[in-house]
Amino acid sequence: MLSYNVSMPAPHPLPQNPPKHTALEDIQGLAIALVTTAIGLSFIAQLGFLTGQTAGLALVISYLTGLSFSWVFWLINIPFYVLAYFRMGTEFTLKSALSVTILSILMAYLPPLMTFETLNPIFGTIAFGVLTGFGLLGVFRHKSSLGGLGVLALIAQDHFGVRAGLVQIAFDAVLFTVVFFLFDAHVVLYSLFGALILNGVIAFNHRRDIYIAN
Amino acid sequence: MSKPARTKPEINPTKHTLFEDGQAFVYGTAMCALALMMLKTLGLITGQTAGLALLISYVIDAPFGAVFFIVNLPFYWFGYKRMGLKFMLKTLVCVVLISVFTEIFPQFISFETLNPVFGAIMIGFLTASGLMAIIRHGGSLGGIGILALYIQDAFGFKAGYVQLAFDAVLFAVAAFILPLELVGYSLLGAVVANLVIAINHRRDRYIAT
Repeated sequence: MLSYNVSMPAPHPLPQNPPKHTALEDIQGLAIALVTTAIGLSFIAQLGFLTGQTAGLALVISYLTGLSFSWVFWLINIPFYVLAYFRMGTEFTLKSALSVTILSILMAYLPPLMTFETLNPIFGTIAFGVLTGFGLLGVFRHKSSLGGLGVLALIAQDHFGVRAGLVQIAFDAVLFTVVFFLFDAHVVLYSLFGALILNGVIAFNHRRDIYIAN
Repeated sequence: MSKPARTKPEINPTKHTLFEDGQAFVYGTAMCALALMMLKTLGLITGQTAGLALLISYVIDAPFGAVFFIVNLPFYWFGYKRMGLKFMLKTLVCVVLISVFTEIFPQFISFETLNPVFGAIMIGFLTASGLMAIIRHGGSLGGIGILALYIQDAFGFKAGYVQLAFDAVLFAVAAFILPLELVGYSLLGAVVANLVIAINHRRDRYIAT
């Protein structure tokens, strides 16, 4: 049987006594991060493309049902707050709930303020990956999240010894398999490309040993 | 309570690898180029050399990329003298990338609607995030900043005042050329960008060089 190392070390040692962000710094950091995330998402929403994780699931549901992404995304995330509260504590849960709510509101009102005459699908996909990647970095560096699967994956790791990353990959694999049957192949390919860029931006730049404040 | 020191902490800062620098410069210049496209779409300007290049490109109807590249040429010498060869070369790479990106991006993206207030704020966010990535990786977009440091060294005149004076003159000139409404939106974008950088560019927090 496969056995997973449950207590995986952090990729890099964390700094001792890291400096704390002030409330004002958190507010401006999260504001910039969420607006930028929303801009990135509006690029793929206008192209009709998808992404991974809960935002991807919400996009799929909104495309299929015609419901607004904002409501679907906001509702999908509710169950995860309960899990987040037990695993990550009050501050993280409240910040996540606030971030998800603000992103939902932004996604309802921002896209009409910026529409495109031309938007090359490759350019739009890269812009999504880079902008939303940057936005998520800001969200993480200010100790928040956009809710979702991450917390569920961490709990699966704690209780069942399945690596959190694998849970998230499994979720995306199922999501994209379903998507593959429901949408055009080019939509799936562009969406995978965008998710790759997004994750690349985070993988290379989310370094607690380099950006040390929290 | 005493203000915390903003000096670099006493830990050996991590060095960025060549790949990390490269991806940061592509990211930073692409963000700034996107912001410049929004500025051009809305007919706005910004501060510093980029603002000067935009204003010139509006007045003589020349491509921004070429004007920006030429306007920056004199500053490489100051950059080399004051900050060294590595900084100068990184700056040259970034300026070239911006000049190229601003010329090719319009083939891939153009705006149908862009709300000017939203656009100005977005321009501020994008510029600040792009500039911070470039600065954190030891580059720059050339320009007045280097000359200002040079003047501070040589004449003891504060670098910040040189930059402020440059922008004051630039916006005063712009007020005669552009509609006042557009000058106002331009100021909003520049203020947002500078605020974001002022709050977030902290060498004591982002410690790699």
